[in-house]
Amino acid sequence: MGNLKLNETPIRTSRNFNINNIKLENIDIPKNISKFNNIKTTTNVQEVTANNCELTYGLGNVLIDQIKNNSNKNLKIVVDNKKNENTLVEFNFDENNNILIDNIEIIVNENCTGTIIVKYNTKSNIQCYHNGIIKIYAHKNSNVKIIVVNLLNTKSNNFISIENELEENAKVDYTIVDFGGENSITNYYSNLKGDSSENNINTIYLGKENQLFDINYIAELRGVKSNINMEVQGALNDNAIKHFKGTIDFKKGSKKSKGNENEFCFLLSDKAKSLGLPMLLCSEEDVEGNHASSAGKIGEKELFYIMSRGFSLKEAMKLMVKAKFNKILESIDSEELVNEIVYEIDKRLD
Amino acid sequence: MKSQINEINRNIYDIKNKDEYDFKIKKGLTPEIINEISNQKSDPDWMREFRLKALEVYNRLELPTWGPDLSELDMSEIATYVRPKTKLNNSWEDVPEDIKNTFDRLGIPEAEKASLAGVGAQYDSEVVYHSMKEDLIKQGVIYTDMETALRDYPDLVKEHFMKCVPVHDHKFVALHGAVWSGGSFVYVPKNVKVDIPLQSYFRLNSPESGQFEHTLIIVDEGASLHFIEGCSAPKYNKVNLHAGCVELYVKDNAYLRYSTIENWSKNMLNLNTKKAIVGKNAGMDWVSGSFGSKISMLYPMSILNGDGAKTEYTGISFAGAGQNLDNGFKVVHNAKNTSSVVNAKSISKNGGICTYRSLVRVNENAKNSKCTVSCESLMLDDISRSDTIPTNEIRTDEIEFSHEAKIGKISDKTIFYLMSRGLSEEDAKAMIVRGFAYPISKELPVEYAVEMNNLINLELEGSIG
Repeated sequence: MGNLKLNETPIRTSRNFNINNIKLENIDIPKNISKFNNIKTTTNVQEVTANNCELTYGLGNVLIDQIKNNSNKNLKIVVDNKKNENTLVEFNFDENNNILIDNIEIIVNENCTGTIIVKYNTKSNIQCYHNGIIKIYAHKNSNVKIIVVNLLNTKSNNFISIENELEENAKVDYTIVDFGGENSITNYYSNLKGDSSENNINTIYLGKENQLFDINYIAELRGVKSNINMEVQGALNDNAIKHFKGTIDFKKGSKKSKGNENEFCFLLSDKAKSLGLPMLLCSEEDVEGNHASSAGKIGEKELFYIMSRGFSLKEAMKLMVKAKFNKILESIDSEELVNEIVYEIDKRLD
Repeated sequence: MKSQINEINRNIYDIKNKDEYDFKIKKGLTPEIINEISNQKSDPDWMREFRLKALEVYNRLELPTWGPDLSELDMSEIATYVRPKTKLNNSWEDVPEDIKNTFDRLGIPEAEKASLAGVGAQYDSEVVYHSMKEDLIKQGVIYTDMETALRDYPDLVKEHFMKCVPVHDHKFVALHGAVWSGGSFVYVPKNVKVDIPLQSYFRLNSPESGQFEHTLIIVDEGASLHFIEGCSAPKYNKVNLHAGCVELYVKDNAYLRYSTIENWSKNMLNLNTKKAIVGKNAGMDWVSGSFGSKISMLYPMSILNGDGAKTEYTGISFAGAGQNLDNGFKVVHNAKNTSSVVNAKSISKNGGICTYRSLVRVNENAKNSKCTVSCESLMLDDISRSDTIPTNEIRTDEIEFSHEAKIGKISDKTIFYLMSRGLSEEDAKAMIVRGFAYPISKELPVEYAVEMNNLINLELEGSIG
């Protein structure tokens, strides 16, 4: 059991605001790690002995060192097709596969395009531990869609560090579905170094019981006419807590770039808590940056309207949450996956 | 096409008087120095003990690990108490000529005649002039310097002094608690409406020194007040320090507007603390213009403790070369049906750094509350910097909360539109920047709005190429 200090923001603010990092106590950081075998992949996913663990940010040294020294699954995906190539990596946690330390490297070659789904599932009630890296190199004129789905149970710990490097005219669209984990801690860093590079991040999170989400997204715009869009929609029930830290950093030279960040949190319980830090950092004159953040409960008028059509309060709430998430779910091409996510929303809000 | 927007013309503010004083304490910060300040000010015993305890807290607390770099601040090089060569006066005629001339240049006596109900003027560590209109005295309004208040209203001061802003809040509040001197005390009795503003002006003339004035305002139930604070100093080569403290108590159904035009010199570290406790159905409005200082860390705070309490913050910062202005606002919703509106703007130019840093905290008991935050930053060149760092903590579902921020340059489309209506490019840009600052200037009394517009003095040149 150990205490962890994770997910530092790129710029600190007052310690009294309790948002510069997240401190977790009594986390069981596994030392003896056996193989993780319950994995389903498409044929283009290669298992390798090790991947690069050097990250600009990442969740923190303890967890990154664990991946460096003790990973039990290192995967490499090379997207080298000009048609949209679909890739699946599905980790299914169970009694014999309850610890996953993974490092996934994705290389998207010049002018290539692909869709990659990475799923983390637990079907049982067992406590699981996941600590992973996903690192993407998006080369010139490439276009990749990444869908990361965390459907772990609410007893598990989920730690993930994501990093992207975008060359000229590269496009990376991320959809992150973050539902699982007693603690789900995400660090996301995007280096938009190429001119006209574009990164879109669409995230939905859903918390219940005592779940804690700490989400730290950092985008550094360096290329001319680079573009970042962050859209984060969430709902918190019971005693769930969410920290969202979103940073858009216009570096010198990123002329004509644009950055937008939009965060919305539905509070479904008077015990749920939402903490947000939407940062705009700017050292370039000719840019446009916007952020908007809002929170509140579901409108009584909307609930009343739905209930007047014969739905119970719980069903009405589910409908409103799904409606809010719908725009992001629509960006997922796989109907089967969308149905699975919708089923999880219904189940988790029961 | 390139716009040139001048920095603030500081000619008036930078005229310095000879460093003459009645007493200047030696530089540094030791219990002996604190005791000497207490002796010089004839403090009551409780205040002497308070100062010494605050010094202990100061020594225990760390410098902030965030915000601008404060490493150049060396307290062993700062004299924390400088008594000017005059006592407190009730007539400008009795104020020594060089000091009076300073305030004349700043327009204080003239403003007093034209638009104020009372004026306090502090020079270095002590208040040198204080007066208030007779009718307010008759209504029981108290407006005096803190030293007089400590002597004449000891219970009222002891009950409120550094209770709203406790010395443990941060290192520079603890410093203030140890070395405070001067400042204003205002008490507005129940149901008294002070229709014309009161103003205190703080001038620091002495080099390598600090100003630590304490402002304590109590607006009793059903009463109202507009208080204006102005501050400036001439520029020196070495660092000066301002670590004032403003404590505001706005009781049930009362209203207070606190306006500040801050124009410290560019060698000043402005590490000021301002906080208001707002009662049931009371209103607290802040209007803040921040133009001076080398480094500023200033985050006024409203604690909405009473049901139905409201607060509004309207602020603008203008950072030019060598300036790092880290300003913002904090609000805590701590009761039902409370509301807050924040409207913050900043302009960065010539390598200046503007940061908007804020906290919105809505506690579990703040059911049915509303909070709206808007901040806009204008970058006037590519060597400046502008950051927005807002923290929003929501602990109840019965809340309507929204925050939005924008960052960017003057829109070419807007310039084009205005020019198509017959304005020159220069006039178009001037109109846009004045329009940007308008939400703040319209909240100020007209004389101060004119001063602020003069501060944002525009000079535009260039051609469309």
